[in-house]
Amino acid sequence: MIDAQPARASTSVELTIATPEGVLFRLPLAGPASRLCAMLLDIVIVLGTVNGVGLLVYWIFAKAPGFGVMVITLAQFAIGFAYSALLEGLWNGQTIGKRLFHLRVIDQTGLPLRIEQAWVRNLMRVFDALPFAYLAGGISVLSSPLTQRFGDRVAGTLVVREAPLALPAEQFWTRQKYNSFMEYPTIAIHLRRTATPELASLIQDALRRRNELAPYARREIYRELATYLQIEISPFPDELVERLSDEQYLINASAVLFGDQRPLRGQGAQLSPKNPIRGLGD
Amino acid sequence: MILNLERFQAHSQPRWRSLESLLGLLESRPDRRLNPVEAQQLQDLYAQTAADLNRVTHGALAPELRQYLERLVARSYAELNYAPPSRSEMWKPRSWLRIFSAFPESFRRQSRYFALAVLITILGCMLGGLAVHYDPASVDVLLPADYLRNPEQRVHEEEQGKGRHLQSAQTEAAFSAQLIRHNIQVALLAAALGVTFGIGTALLLFENGVLLGAVAVNYTQRGFGLFVTAWLLPHGVFEIPSILIAGQAGFYLARLLLRRREDRDVRQTMREWLVLVAGLAMMLVWAGIMEAFFSQHHAPVLPYGFKVAIAVAELVLLTLYLLLTGRRRISAGLLSSVPGEK
Repeated sequence: MIDAQPARASTSVELTIATPEGVLFRLPLAGPASRLCAMLLDIVIVLGTVNGVGLLVYWIFAKAPGFGVMVITLAQFAIGFAYSALLEGLWNGQTIGKRLFHLRVIDQTGLPLRIEQAWVRNLMRVFDALPFAYLAGGISVLSSPLTQRFGDRVAGTLVVREAPLALPAEQFWTRQKYNSFMEYPTIAIHLRRTATPELASLIQDALRRRNELAPYARREIYRELATYLQIEISPFPDELVERLSDEQYLINASAVLFGDQRPLRGQGAQLSPKNPIRGLGD
Repeated sequence: MILNLERFQAHSQPRWRSLESLLGLLESRPDRRLNPVEAQQLQDLYAQTAADLNRVTHGALAPELRQYLERLVARSYAELNYAPPSRSEMWKPRSWLRIFSAFPESFRRQSRYFALAVLITILGCMLGGLAVHYDPASVDVLLPADYLRNPEQRVHEEEQGKGRHLQSAQTEAAFSAQLIRHNIQVALLAAALGVTFGIGTALLLFENGVLLGAVAVNYTQRGFGLFVTAWLLPHGVFEIPSILIAGQAGFYLARLLLRRREDRDVRQTMREWLVLVAGLAMMLVWAGIMEAFFSQHHAPVLPYGFKVAIAVAELVLLTLYLLLTGRRRISAGLLSSVPGEK
């Protein structure tokens, strides 16, 4: 039994964009950890490239090492700045690291970033890297509501998460032949009305991840959820609940929440003498 | 929860799929341009999907479906409202060469920030110069150790060619690259410090000014005025203005951040900052080359008068470039009332 209503912890910050046409959509912002990982990967790539170029140049200028050093120094410097700026500018806001970690830099109005913005945010790294190890940039990311480092603030850009997303599969539990909860339409409607989106998706997730959970954990989680629903939200009559496993209880509840079948209000209310209206949320 | 999700999804899925494939096609296209039919198709699908998203948001508990639709809508919105510059345009040499005229134009447009940078540097110079003039002991505090403190020794070493390892063109090349890198880093920092509302930029310029003033007075007092002029000016006439321009870019950035709310044409304003930074980087490349290959050669090899004359010639050319380039084109543009278009 749990005391408080289960709520899904917010793992990400979002930016809501309202387009001129009146469309609202949310963009999930990237967290500091994934950005750091992507940056480290990019640094490794840059170092690899620079050293590769260095070896090549050294070989070409074997007879004139001084000019070799000149070319290497300038090439390293140029690659260090140009790598991110060019890739982000040409690849629609992604470097190799960002692509692998499913991040993308965009304009803060929700549009793709422009080439100038890519340059500005990357040249501003000289400030974000101060005084060492990107401390200024890190503080800025943690303190900004849009998780922007100083370069992002100046360039008007932000980094969003873009996990590969597929159309969700249809849910099997919404298609059952018979749902005993529908016999109690008043309670079913009450469940549908009072369940918060968080609670509903919690039930859905619990069912979907059935096979990922260890048997013991599954039993406990299903029991807690079902008990909570039964006591706090939808007190279906005991003689019905006693015949249902916790899992079946959640499947039925989920079908009520997400499913096609409508509770037969008038019919059920007349036909079912055991309808415990007294039990409703008063 | 009015929406019948299952039926809704089955009914709308085909158009989501076709929007998805249209977006995939557009995003894989290098120039990402639409033809009229595609634009119409994209617009229709976008409108329908946005309506679907609205229904899911307000009528159903389907976080995953909502996320999926939000992604589709966000991508369509981006495709409909933004076209990146075409690749062919971007790789034209002419569009890159335009920087040579854009730089002086930006410089003149933002000249008041340049004046501010000059003012702060002059204040620093005066402080450094006066301090050394009235209290020669302050040299120990103002100048970094072993660097410029001991003019007699330094001049002697330079003229004797103690640093003769610099004589080989190879070492000079390596040295010039290091100078270029270091100077560009410092200048870029000055330009980026504008994000501290200009305070960091001002401090950096002031410190630079104090150093300059202290060195100049220190060497002049001891009778090495000509030497130091000939030593520092051939590259200094590019190096010092470029730091000032970095300061200009920094103050410009600070001003931009302070009035961000009213001034929404961020694109144009950021381009200006970038052009200034690119211009000063070009100047520093020249300064680095001069410093390594020319400035380090002293009297027996190169007469001081010749070095100073070269420096003056450089300064005149730089001034003419910064003040005159692109001026005619602007006035012509204004007359034909199509500024900047050819």
